[in-house]
Formats: sequence, C-alpha cells, structure tokens
Amino acid sequence: MAESPGGHAGGSGSHDSGGGDHSPQSSVREQDRFLPIANIGRIMKKALPANGKIAKDAKDTVQECVSEFISFITSEASDKCQKEKRKTINGDDLLWAMATLGFEEYISPLKAYLARYREGDAKGSARAGDGSSKKDTIGTQLPSASQFVHQAPFPQGFSYSGSQIKF
Amino acid sequence: MRQPGAYSKLLCGGRTGPHSLPLARIKKIMKKSGDDVKMISGEAPIVFAKACELFIEELTKTAWEMAVQGKRRTLNKEDVAFAVINTDVFDFLVNLVSDSDNPRVEEM
Repeated sequence: MAESPGGHAGGSGSHDSGGGDHSPQSSVREQDRFLPIANIGRIMKKALPANGKIAKDAKDTVQECVSEFISFITSEASDKCQKEKRKTINGDDLLWAMATLGFEEYISPLKAYLARYREGDAKGSARAGDGSSKKDTIGTQLPSASQFVHQAPFPQGFSYSGSQIKF
Repeated sequence: MRQPGAYSKLLCGGRTGPHSLPLARIKKIMKKSGDDVKMISGEAPIVFAKACELFIEELTKTAWEMAVQGKRRTLNKEDVAFAVINTDVFDFLVNLVSDSDNPRVEEM
C-alpha cells in the first residue's frame, strides 16, 4: 500500500496496445464482472416503498456488492468441494456455504424456489437434454406422497363439500 | 399478519422463470472467484439468481432505513455503505464500501 510511488492509477496503463484510455476491452471485462445494472435497479426498487428513489451511485455500490457476494459464497463452496475431492460445485454446496457464512435465512426460500422451478420445468418446457441427471437434490421432493394426495379418491379442501353432496 | 415471503407469487409475479438475473453472467462471476472453480452444476446459477435477489432486497431494505433516519427519500451510496457496516452478515463487504472517502463510515 505504502509503495507505489508513481501515482495511484492502480497499476494500469502498462499495456496500452489498444487505442486510447477508454478501450472497449475494459468495458467488456466490466460486463463480465457485474450483473446488469437494470436488473439490480429493478430488484432494489421492489424492496422500497413506492415513494422511494434510488441514486445511481447506490445502484453501482449494490452491483459491486452482489458480485462480491457471489464470489464469497462460491469460494466457500469451492473449498468444501476440494476438501471432499469433488470437482463440480452444486446447488447444495452453495446452500451449505450460505448457511455457514450467516445467510441461513435464505435457505428455505431458495429451496422453495428450486422446487417450484423444477415443477415448472417438468410440466412446461420439456427441454429434452438436461432433464435426466439431477445430481444435486435440493428441496425435499416427495413425489410419491404428493401424487397420492392428488389422486386420492376423496379430494381435500374446498371440494370436500362437493363430494358430500354426492353421497 | 405476515408479509409475503420473497419467493411468494405476490412479489415475483408468480413465475419461476425467466429468472430476474441472467444465469450466464452469474456463472461467469462464479468462475472468476477462484482458479479452483471449474465445474459448476446447472442448478448452481439458478440458486444464485434467487439468492442474489434476496441479498439485494436485504441490503436495500437495510440501507433504506438509514435513508429514512436521515429524513431522505433517495437511497444513496452512503446508505448502502452504512447498512453494510451495521450488519454482521455483510462484514465481507466492509472493505469494498469503505474504499471511498465516506465521512459516515468513520462514525463506527
């Protein structure tokens, strides 16, 4: 920190084999590092009351924070995979990492989200390719139990009265 | 009584996809987080799409409380920084937000 006498340009500028300071390369890399600001802004807005406004610098900061969050969780999950001698980081590893790093309240919404995603995936767009092998099973799916409920001869809930009339 | 959860239909329009954040971009960021990160399961970016949403909401809501305390209606960078500093789970972001010269950070 104390070193770097020649100005605090962050060590950049050594490679000027492009054209000008604002080379298109840097903006491409920027895109790779962050999630789109429009999406971030939309999610932020959803979290605020209707009269709340968001300054651009706040969006920029949150954008940086989100990338840091992804890296933070991924690194922890990656360490776990290495220790267990596995090569692929799966959803369970991420959930474990989040729980370990203090985000345990995200776990149940995430499981619900995944379960709903799978449900929709199975019903709707049947993408033939990746439907088969699900190595990481997040979300406790109880296919047999739920099917039984749906196929039961005595439907539950509000249609129960209907079946009573039949009798 | 209870507010709808972040994953309820009220808040995310009742659909599970398309996701609110691009999965390919999430995957790229994951790969950049370490040299050991080479293989990522298909579900991992999906988990992150939702996790990031939850994270952004939590950070934004906490930051908004700071803005309200300051009697402002516009969320700014300092509010986000202050939210990070005042929340334990956001400790890993402290360096990121305190890089800038921020007078309120020094209060802590």
